[in-house]
Amino acid sequence: MTKVQLPLSKKESRLYMAFMWVTYISLFVGGLMGLLQTLVRSGKYTLPFNIDYYTILTVHGVILGLVLTTFFIIGFQFSLMGKTVGISDKQLKVAWLSFWVMLVGTIMAAITILVGEASVLYTFYAPLRAHPAFYIGLALVIVGSWIAAFVNFRQLYVWKKAHKGEKSPLPAFMVIINMLMWFIATIGVATSVLVLFIPWSLGYAETINVLLSRTLFWYFGHPLVYFWLLPAYMAWYVVIPKIIGGKLFSDALARMAFILLLMFSIPVGFHHQLTEPGIDPTWKFIQVVLTFMVVIPSLMTAFSIFATFETTGRRKGFKSLFGWFKKLPWKDVRFLAPFIGMAAFIPGGAGGIVNASHQMNALVHNTIWITGHFHLTAATTVVLTFFGITYWLVPHLTGRRLTPRLNKLGIIQTFIWTFGMTIMSGSMHIQGLLGGPRRSSFSEYAGGEQVATWINYQIAQAVGGTILFIGILLMVYIFIQLTFFAPRGVQEYPIAVEEDDAEPTPKILENWYLWIGITIALILFAYTIPVIDIIKHSPPGSPPFDWLIGR
Amino acid sequence: MGKGNSKQHQPNSNESTHNLKGTFIAVMLLGVFILVSWFGFYALFLSR
Repeated sequence: MTKVQLPLSKKESRLYMAFMWVTYISLFVGGLMGLLQTLVRSGKYTLPFNIDYYTILTVHGVILGLVLTTFFIIGFQFSLMGKTVGISDKQLKVAWLSFWVMLVGTIMAAITILVGEASVLYTFYAPLRAHPAFYIGLALVIVGSWIAAFVNFRQLYVWKKAHKGEKSPLPAFMVIINMLMWFIATIGVATSVLVLFIPWSLGYAETINVLLSRTLFWYFGHPLVYFWLLPAYMAWYVVIPKIIGGKLFSDALARMAFILLLMFSIPVGFHHQLTEPGIDPTWKFIQVVLTFMVVIPSLMTAFSIFATFETTGRRKGFKSLFGWFKKLPWKDVRFLAPFIGMAAFIPGGAGGIVNASHQMNALVHNTIWITGHFHLTAATTVVLTFFGITYWLVPHLTGRRLTPRLNKLGIIQTFIWTFGMTIMSGSMHIQGLLGGPRRSSFSEYAGGEQVATWINYQIAQAVGGTILFIGILLMVYIFIQLTFFAPRGVQEYPIAVEEDDAEPTPKILENWYLWIGITIALILFAYTIPVIDIIKHSPPGSPPFDWLIGR
Repeated sequence: MGKGNSKQHQPNSNESTHNLKGTFIAVMLLGVFILVSWFGFYALFLSR
């Protein structure tokens, strides 16, 4: 673990802040759409100006699930790289190129959705056909993120050349793992968009192989959720220990956990397709088993976090079994927000194991339980950790300070978010177990008996959604304060160092050929035969359906 | 922002700082929570 932190130049800070701006504009726009959805589903509100429910649902999913996350992650990761391995002027220019390519793609896709030409939801399942500009916009977002990935790879390469024989700084190592995973995973969705969707949406291909397109999407779709989660893990491993006044428990354990996440995040997409006809159940089962392997690095992370808390507390003299827990810095929002994120990951992770459990998936598959699940994992665990990072990253970049007042507002924001999400996600989980469907607008389904049991939960979701939107307004206010109005000063960029008596990190953990080789071997094992099956035995492709989404 | 901990004691010996009993119990409780919830939903699955 490097003990040297590099200063971030003004030029660099401007780039990282550009990513933060897109993040918080996305939060506002996407959050507003989320509020409208919950209001519509309460049955008490109709959208004005003939706006279609599925248009706002698509905006919500794409802007929050794909845009907010990707921009925040790439911006935060660039800052971690800048802080630990540095960035050259040339690399900075290419990094700006990645930003602009991603932004142009985002604007293209967003406009296409907003004018009602791409109400296909963020999973853009065929045979629903969006306007080609939607797919081209998404492709540009991916290409932009690839440019960022290659800048990151280059940054570490240059640093390694200048520091022969030294292990890479842990934050840089983690960023490279995440971008490697992202690059390998997005090849699937990029292939799907470039080879299947764009020619089909332009009318050059008459039909599309629906199953293949969905399989390629989920080859990307599951690592996508780990792409969101790993930056949160980065903060839990290297930032939180510093904030609580402690040290990193084990550099080697952290690296091993990230390597396992790289290996086991990708060859598992079938667990999103367990009800999909046309995929051999044996391969579904194999991918379910591989999915369960992810439990190992997740529990390693939990162990490491508890160990950091306990070691720090005991060093401060707290002797009882859990005495150290009470003395954590609960009044510091930089700790509290990510901590609640960690706590939410306990039920979130447990729910994920249920979802992935092959036959048990039938209990929840097309229900709003799933929506509740990812609002717990992505919209609570990940988002609260991202908010926790924002409280120190933004003032660090703008040369300002997190004041006690803003810290207090942050704590209020965290509680509002937790309260709103408990109501919304909790009621989604319960309604899902009662059979309530996901993705769908308000309907009484011709007055079925079971349907009557859902409405109170939908009203609860509208209450939770409204509370969450208040939380969003407060968070955007805090972001603007930290950017323009907080007092000038120096805000620490917290990166922990390792325990003095930690075992040295084995060199093999940086053997990229080995880990990338195993990752590719696992992917080939899990996907080659079933994909050949899918291509060889698929039914005739489907023509596009436009009228279903009002085109 | 401050570090949050008001009570600062003398640093202890390595032995007591590396006492990870609380961590062990916390991780075990986490495992129990996962197992109990999984079997709960499994029972629901079987009953339907």
